[in-house]
Amino acid sequence: MISSINTMESGLAVCLLVIAIACLFDRHLLRACWLLILFALLMSVAWWYLNAPWLALVEVVLGGVLTGGSFLYALRNLPSQRSPIVRYDHTQVGWSHRITRVLLTVAWSLMLGVAIQFLLPDMALSLTEHPLILAAVVIVSVGMGAFALHRHLLRRLMAFNVLGSGVFLMLAGMADTRPSSQALISVGLVIAWLGSLLGVLLIRRLVEQEGSVALDGEQSSTRLPS
Amino acid sequence: MNAAWLPLMTLATSLFAAVAIFSLPEEARRVRTSINLLAAVSKIVLVTLMVGRVSEGYEDTFSFQIVGGVDFVLRADALGVMFAGLSSLLWLCTTIYAIGYLEGAANRKRFFGFFSLCVTSTLGIALSGNLFTFLIFYEMLTLSTYPLVVHSGTAKALAAGRVYLRYTLTAGVVLLLGVVLLYSLTNDHSFASEQGLSPYLDDHRGLLTLIFALLVGGLAVKAAMVPLHGWLPRAMVAPAPVSALLHAVAVVKAGAFGILRVIYDLYGIELSVELGVTTVLAIAASITIIYGSLRAIAQEELKPRLAFSTISQVSYVVLGVSLFGPFGTIGALAHLLHQGLMKVTLFFCAGNYAEELGIHRIDEMDGAGKRMPLTSFAFTVGALGMIGLPPIAGFITKWYLGIGAIQAEMYWVVAVLVASSTLNAIYFLPILHRLWFREGPAHGKGQWPKEQRLGRLETHGWLLWPAVFTAVISIGAGLLAGLPFSPLDWATRVAVGEYLP
Amino acid sequence: MMWRFGLYDPSFDPLWMTHWALAGALLLPIMAGLLGAIFRPSRALPVVLACMPILVAGVLMVIDYQQAGLLRWQWVIGDIEFTLRFSGLSALMLLITQWTAAAVAMYTPGYLRLTYPDLNNRWIWPLMGLLVSALSLIWLAADLLTLYAALEIMGLAAVGMLLLSGKPAALKAGMRYLLLALVGSLAFLLGIALLLSQWGSLNLAVLVELVEQEPITWVAAALMGAGLALKAALFPLHGWLTPVHENAWTPVSALHAALVIKASLYILILLWSILLPETLLAPRLIAWLGMLAIVWGGLVAWRADSLKTLIASSTVGQLGYLMVAFPLLLGPGIAPLPLALAWDGFWLHLMGHALAKAAMFMAAGNLIIATGESSLNALAGTSRRLPLSLLIFGIASVTLMGLPPSAGFTAKWLLLQSMVLTQQWVAVAALMAGTLLTAAYVFRVFRYSFDETAPRHDYQPLAPGMDLIALCLAVAALALGLLAHLPLALLHGGGA
Repeated sequence: MISSINTMESGLAVCLLVIAIACLFDRHLLRACWLLILFALLMSVAWWYLNAPWLALVEVVLGGVLTGGSFLYALRNLPSQRSPIVRYDHTQVGWSHRITRVLLTVAWSLMLGVAIQFLLPDMALSLTEHPLILAAVVIVSVGMGAFALHRHLLRRLMAFNVLGSGVFLMLAGMADTRPSSQALISVGLVIAWLGSLLGVLLIRRLVEQEGSVALDGEQSSTRLPS
Repeated sequence: MNAAWLPLMTLATSLFAAVAIFSLPEEARRVRTSINLLAAVSKIVLVTLMVGRVSEGYEDTFSFQIVGGVDFVLRADALGVMFAGLSSLLWLCTTIYAIGYLEGAANRKRFFGFFSLCVTSTLGIALSGNLFTFLIFYEMLTLSTYPLVVHSGTAKALAAGRVYLRYTLTAGVVLLLGVVLLYSLTNDHSFASEQGLSPYLDDHRGLLTLIFALLVGGLAVKAAMVPLHGWLPRAMVAPAPVSALLHAVAVVKAGAFGILRVIYDLYGIELSVELGVTTVLAIAASITIIYGSLRAIAQEELKPRLAFSTISQVSYVVLGVSLFGPFGTIGALAHLLHQGLMKVTLFFCAGNYAEELGIHRIDEMDGAGKRMPLTSFAFTVGALGMIGLPPIAGFITKWYLGIGAIQAEMYWVVAVLVASSTLNAIYFLPILHRLWFREGPAHGKGQWPKEQRLGRLETHGWLLWPAVFTAVISIGAGLLAGLPFSPLDWATRVAVGEYLP
Repeated sequence: MMWRFGLYDPSFDPLWMTHWALAGALLLPIMAGLLGAIFRPSRALPVVLACMPILVAGVLMVIDYQQAGLLRWQWVIGDIEFTLRFSGLSALMLLITQWTAAAVAMYTPGYLRLTYPDLNNRWIWPLMGLLVSALSLIWLAADLLTLYAALEIMGLAAVGMLLLSGKPAALKAGMRYLLLALVGSLAFLLGIALLLSQWGSLNLAVLVELVEQEPITWVAAALMGAGLALKAALFPLHGWLTPVHENAWTPVSALHAALVIKASLYILILLWSILLPETLLAPRLIAWLGMLAIVWGGLVAWRADSLKTLIASSTVGQLGYLMVAFPLLLGPGIAPLPLALAWDGFWLHLMGHALAKAAMFMAAGNLIIATGESSLNALAGTSRRLPLSLLIFGIASVTLMGLPPSAGFTAKWLLLQSMVLTQQWVAVAALMAGTLLTAAYVFRVFRYSFDETAPRHDYQPLAPGMDLIALCLAVAALALGLLAHLPLALLHGGGA
């Protein structure tokens, strides 16, 4: 069984996973943003590997260039005085918040695992044979956790993007890369890009008006002691 | 031949009037007055036409489907036309009175708009051909009277409005539940169907009793039966024409009329007796009669005394219904009309005293008979009628109710009637004594609380003549009770139709 | 159940004219929106002219539907199948969408001129056009791919519109909504993926035939349900709704409350009746939440201090009525009669609420513009000075309270009758309590407005027609109560 696992695919899966985690937990936002773009490019390799060349192209354009570009645009063109504040996430997250979110994420991952293990006997691409899909499940869990954990809006938005990619991979794993699932994933990519663009514009307005990068009242901790 | 337009047009006259009044600007006083009077007069003409049609034996029906199994039905039958006649006649009087009463006041557009809507609802209640239609207009009545109750906008009026809504909306919900249960049991059930609900008696005895309790419970709030009467005395803060309308026609009578409909046209009197609900109702009505009278004695202001008197008097209708037998029915139906006429007279007079002389309390009324003889004459007629003195209309109802009680072998009801008349005398006669026989400001002793000279006569003509008119009609209804188309004659016709199908 | 959604084979092909009508109904709103962005209409007349062809296209489609019965379109592009169908339900929802949106569009120029004349407000037009197109597509879509795309476009357009007011509070509320909507859409997508992997098709009509009751179906239904419930602001997930409506522009709130959240609800009931026919637990859960929603929404609205909060909370409660009907539509062993009653009542309530809520937001918007404040206290004395706006508010609230003669009443009647027939007494009690709670918070508004002792402000005059449009919507909601058999006949038409 082990022999059936392709080295190329395993390597890809590991790379995806590492980069996703690095992107999600890097407090240096600009670096996280480049990691996100790298992640998207790796995703497109994964699509290529899964026999979906058109999807790979769409991923490069939408996931890599447009979404990544939106994030870069947001970080580069922020109002100059505040840009250092926003390029590095100083948000402090309380321990109780952290613990509850981690527990929630663990519970969610367990549920996901149970669902996949017992409810889906016949996935198109078997989990045990395709480490990519296994990586997708982990990415979804981690992305979910990061989305719940972070307060910084840009990081939440990035977490959403990573989470989305995980979901797309899972979709491909469950339903193969037949035309209709490729169409679904393409629509999902467009939506993710538009959502990110909208979110980025919003965050810029929020920073301009409020100097805040979080939703709940933690604005004070986002300012640097100068 | 079915003249479907007739009930529809009768309803529409006041609806059109309401829409027209709402679309006019506040300042268009003359146009508004003309619309009001025109609509009121044309409504009376239409109702007269309907009376003619019904006496010829037609039942004009207008209906259309709302959803599957539920129709909107307007039907001009004898009972409905009777109530419609009362409403349209008193609407004309009250409109004239209100125009005079609100001269120069604020928010008249709102007042007359909702006033017309209120009459539309009352007419709708009268002409409803099934329970669903009845429910529609019954709830519309609640909504359209609220702005009238809180018209003055003072804290007291707003509080009264809140209490009013609390009672009536809760009652509406209870009524809705009853109606839905009934429809689920029997589908659409027209008031005109002959057999009542007796086919369901064997299988659904408990459910029928429950539905009866829900329906009558919901209706009894508007009929202000004890202990559901709390809103009525508080609603007295409304302007006099509103009180007159609320107390004499629209709201309390709508409740009583609904109870009539439920017993006679929905359940059928035999079935109601069979279920044993009439006895319960008779006891509740008797308690209300006595309780209302006792509370009335305790009131020191004029309008609250009249309000408690209303609580007491409306239950005569319910009492008459719950006596099994034609005389009880005749008494109840005639009282529906007679009480309306007499009570509206009393409220007009109370309003006149308040407007012209600033009198609100009973002990301020000394010698007012000399200052305002015509108003006081009207008041006297109304009060004596309430006590039940011949030849005023009130006597006839009490007489028929008494006979009905004896026929039904419910002798304790006679005792209730006698006790109630005595109590009525106790709270009305002192007022009459003060009016005519005490010396007051008119004789040079003391001063009126706030005197205004509103007109060349004893008060403004628009205020005076409606009161005198209704007083004269009250006497006429008593004196000429034997003539065709008198209230008694019409009530007899309905009762005969009910008992001899 | 499936014929009610029009998921069966049609007997006739659409006429050539119907194709054009379909294209018009789907594309014209976007084009009109783009024109609006270019020309920035400041009066209602050009908007009326732009709405005309869209409304005509909708009416043409309905006429064709009445003549030919169910209409269906199917295109295959590179092995991907797109299916649209036009059933009685689609017809009804399309009409409501187009007319409500047209009313909102006519209201918008006056509103913008009075409140935000200097801001860069042209973006509202293309977003509104996009929203209407996406909504129309949702009512027509008969495969999951189209449905997903339309749902997401609608969601993004809605977020964009809600942000237009640019207030910090609106931005924060919008951001929260955006994040939730995006995550919700992923849950929805995952559900679709499960269905696709198990049954191999995205076409709803095919899925109806194939779907069996097994755990994977339930997981898919739960994932989709969670995503859609989030977007529809169903009870425990409604937190984002109030701040969003409070801070958005009035026409945007009106459109959002009237139509956007209804679309998610529509998809939810459509998918669940395919995936979970005759199940007990899930609809029952929704119904229990719905009862809580009725009570909670009512209580929050009762305590509200600002007019818009009151209306937004009332939406939560009103959605509760629809949630309570779920077991009647999806539950096991519901006899045909109560099922039909509940079905009619559900859609009638949805339509009545759409019209009334739009009217109510507009009336409240007018009151807020005129008094310059959004708190209830500022309403004192408005019954004398702004009687028309207040009357509109009153007429709309008759529908919300479910008092006769209004669409809300007739719908409540149908639902109550259905509940009595199936003996769901708790639901009956919830509906009754909802009526009283609604009355409590609505009449609170009137109590403030009838207060004559308040000092007089200077009122800002309204643009002509702003009250009139709201009045038309409110009266339409009222008239729908007595004329309920007209829309219901259209709704039933597909089954005949």
